[in-house]
Parts: sequence; C-alpha cells; structure tokens
Amino acid sequence: MPNVIIDPNDVMIELKHLRKVFGKQVVLQDINLDIRRGETMVVIGQSGGGKSVILKHMIGLLQPTGGEVSIDGITISTPDFFDTRTIRKRMGMVFQMGALFDSMSTGENIAFALREHNPNLSEEQIQNIVTEKLELINLKPEFRSKMPSELSGGMRKRVALARAIALNPEVILYDEPTTGLDPITSDVINDLILDMQRKLHVTSVVVTHDMASAFKVADRIAMLYGGHIIQTGTVDEIKNSTNPYVQQFITGQRELPTGLEDGD
Amino acid sequence: MTVLLTPFKYIARLIAEGIMAVGEIAWLLIQIIKRVPLVRKNPELTIRQMVNIGVSSIPLLFITSLFTGAVAAVQSEYQFRGLIPDKFIGTAVAKMVLIELGPILTALVLAGRVGSALAAEIGSMREKEELAAYEVLNLDPLRYLAMPRFLTFLIMVPCLTIMSSFLAIIGGWIVCLVGLDITTYTYFTGVQYLFENMDLFSGLIKSVVFGIIIFSLGYYHGLNAGAGAKGVGQATMKTVVSACVSLLVFDLFIALLMFS
Repeated sequence: MPNVIIDPNDVMIELKHLRKVFGKQVVLQDINLDIRRGETMVVIGQSGGGKSVILKHMIGLLQPTGGEVSIDGITISTPDFFDTRTIRKRMGMVFQMGALFDSMSTGENIAFALREHNPNLSEEQIQNIVTEKLELINLKPEFRSKMPSELSGGMRKRVALARAIALNPEVILYDEPTTGLDPITSDVINDLILDMQRKLHVTSVVVTHDMASAFKVADRIAMLYGGHIIQTGTVDEIKNSTNPYVQQFITGQRELPTGLEDGD
Repeated sequence: MTVLLTPFKYIARLIAEGIMAVGEIAWLLIQIIKRVPLVRKNPELTIRQMVNIGVSSIPLLFITSLFTGAVAAVQSEYQFRGLIPDKFIGTAVAKMVLIELGPILTALVLAGRVGSALAAEIGSMREKEELAAYEVLNLDPLRYLAMPRFLTFLIMVPCLTIMSSFLAIIGGWIVCLVGLDITTYTYFTGVQYLFENMDLFSGLIKSVVFGIIIFSLGYYHGLNAGAGAKGVGQATMKTVVSACVSLLVFDLFIALLMFS
C-alpha cells in the first residue's frame, strides 16, 4: 500500500456528471469522480464497461456528450468546449499495448516528444534525460538502441512508461498496465507505478480488471458498473464492500453473491 | 413499394457517403498542405519516407516499365507493319509512354504497392493506438505522419514516373533490336521525331495529381480502417479499388483539359 500524504480536499481531476454516447450506445451514464493530487486511483470494472473511455476523457482524446472534465481546477472539456492541448503537457499516458512508435528505437520513442517540445535542449541533454528515464524504469541505457519489435510485452510497457514520464507530467494515466503480462512481470509494473508515485509525486489513474494489481497500487478504488461509479473507497473499504456487484467483481464470481444489500 | 425503393435508398446512401468522403479528404488535404512549411523542422521524416517508397518501388517499376515499353513497341510494329516507316515505331512508343502509359501505369502500380501499404500502416497505427499516442504527447499526427507522406507521394510519384517512362522507352528499344529488326538509330530517331515538351509536361502534371490521389485515398482509408486484421485488410482493398477508379477518371479529365 502506498505511503504518500494526500489532502482529501486537493482535487486534481474532477469528472462531473460525465456522460458519453457512441451512436445509440450509452457507455457512460453519469460519472462523478474526484481524484486527489498525489493519489493513485484505480478504476475497476468489466471489460467493455467504459473504463478506458473515462481515461480518454481525462486526457482529452474524447469529448463528453454530457457533463464536464476538469484538471487542476481548469475545465478542459464539456459538450460545447474542448481545449486539451495545454493540459496534455501536464499529463502522460501509458497505453494498453504500449503504443510505441514502431519505426523509432526505444531511445527515439522517449526523446521524440522531448526534442519537439524543448528545441533549446542540446542533443547531449536529451540523451541524458533518456538515460535518466530508462534508469527510473530499471532499464540499462543500452536499451535505447532496441527497436520496439525486439522488446517483450513487459518491456514495451516499461518503455511506454519512460516515454510518458519524459516530459515530467503531474498526472500519469495507465490503461490496463498489466493486461497480457505474466504475474511476475505484472508485479514489476505494479512496483513501477508505486515508484512513480513515490519518486515523482505524480497523481495516477489506473484502469484495470486485475484485482491483485488494483489492491497493490491503489490509494482508492472506484468501481464502474452500468455506466455509473457505484462505489469509491480505500482498498479495505472495497474489500469489505457490501455492494453485491463490487463483491462479485473483486471475488471473480459468475453470479451475484447473495445475502448482501443491493448496490442499486 | 418499400421493396422497390430499397435499391434507390441504397444508391442514395452510397452517393451521400461518397460525397462525405470527398469532403473529408478535401478537408484533410487542406490541413496537411497548411503544415507543409513545417517540413524544414523535421526534414528527416520526409527523407526517410522518400527513401522507403523510392527504394521499395524501383524493382517492381523496373520490370513493369521495361515490359510495358516492349509490348508497346511490338504492338505498334504489328499494327503499322507495311503502312508507315519503321522510325515511327519509336515515335509511337515515346508518345504513348510519355503521355499516357508511363504516368497511368506507374500510378496504378504504386497504388497497389505503396498506396495499400500506406493504408495498412496508418490503419495498424490507429489500431495499436500509436495515433492516439502522438496526440497524448501533444504531437500533431498531421504534421509528423501525414505531411511527410504527402510530400513523399507528391515528389516521388513524378520522379518514379520519369524513371518508368525512361525504362519503358529502353524496353521498346531492346525489343526493336532483338525481335523486330529495327536499328538503334531508326528507333531513337523516331523517339525524337515529333517530340514536344507538352508530352513530357502533361505526363508530369498527371503524375503529380496521381500522387495526391494515391496518398489521399491511402491515408483516408487507413484512418477509417475497421478493427483488427480484417479492418486493415479492407482498408487496403478499398484504397486499391478507389485509387484505380479515381486514377482512370482523373486521367480522362486531365487529358480532356490538356489536349481537347
């Protein structure tokens, strides 16, 4: 469990009545969620339930159908307003499959945005930052010359994390960071997520359905069900939840458990 | 009545979708052209694309061009045998190749070779969230992905067309020497005879337009590719089909504009 002091009143990301409709399909009904500065919030829920859609609203890849998204008190998107370019400089995202630029080496993947956004940095300074970021994710500098196709799934995600932290973001969003990885590699990624919080003091949002990962990295967990956040709480609160949908999900049962109060 | 109307509705929907696609492609092209001045900041991205597309296309164009010229010479000799002097075989080959066969065949080959590859590349980048990764890093995909490829097609298609036309004339010469008993002097006298700058110019104008068409359709279908391998496969197929049709239609319009 992370050991970082978090002020409950210092909200970094705020979703107010967020609603998203694709065609006729309502993916998010009414999402209300506050993420505090410096905390790691894990959003859990079934596959296809809209967890990644929430994440994409936070970083401005999607515009809401209803409601609003605010980052550090600045409204970045509503159905009528969408200005995410400035806020993205303060955020990084690790995609589910890494989304590394296949035509560039590992080092170039990390350096590319750095070079484009900081034209005053010398090549030596850029390479020093690349080395520093690789060290942060426990990779040797020699890895900079490897192409993404030469990397394993776990390595790709680590490099994706190095790329996400290259611009020193205040917020890191992780989309299913442990999906497709073996349990040991998953734990390496979990430790890196915790490391980022401790060393870089970032606010993190992790979307996952891997409960071992969620319990390890989370300060708080939010459960998404039916387009709503049905419960938010600490790891212990979620473990001891009386909501049958939460219990069904965290214990991985096919049927709803009986003898609990109805979550609706 | 509803059954009778169904085909009309289907056709109307197809037309509406076509008009929307043309609008989207036009908007995309305008956005890309606006970013062309930024090429000086990252020239290596464009150069890398030019090398990739140029080098990968040369072997195929080498073979198709030589044979196209050779067939043009054989057919001309057969059609005109006994009717006109041999030197006009060279004239016929040069005129056909420079005005028509060079640009259109190069474009058709490139639509299949690099247009489909562009659609597959962009489609799989979208599928693997690489395009989203550009946006998340505040890097404009139109500047870093689309514009270098646009310039590559704009420049490389005419360059490859010139190479292809040259090779086709060489192909015609080889077959004249080997199979048709026409001397080098006679053939190349014919090539130069009746040559007008307009022949070369019209071919180049066509190849510039063809380059833009192949790029636009490849990039557009890649961006709109469906999910998975099937989606990417369909995007490449749509690129080749739509490019072949568009190239031939535009070929006619350019010919009407320049020669009528």
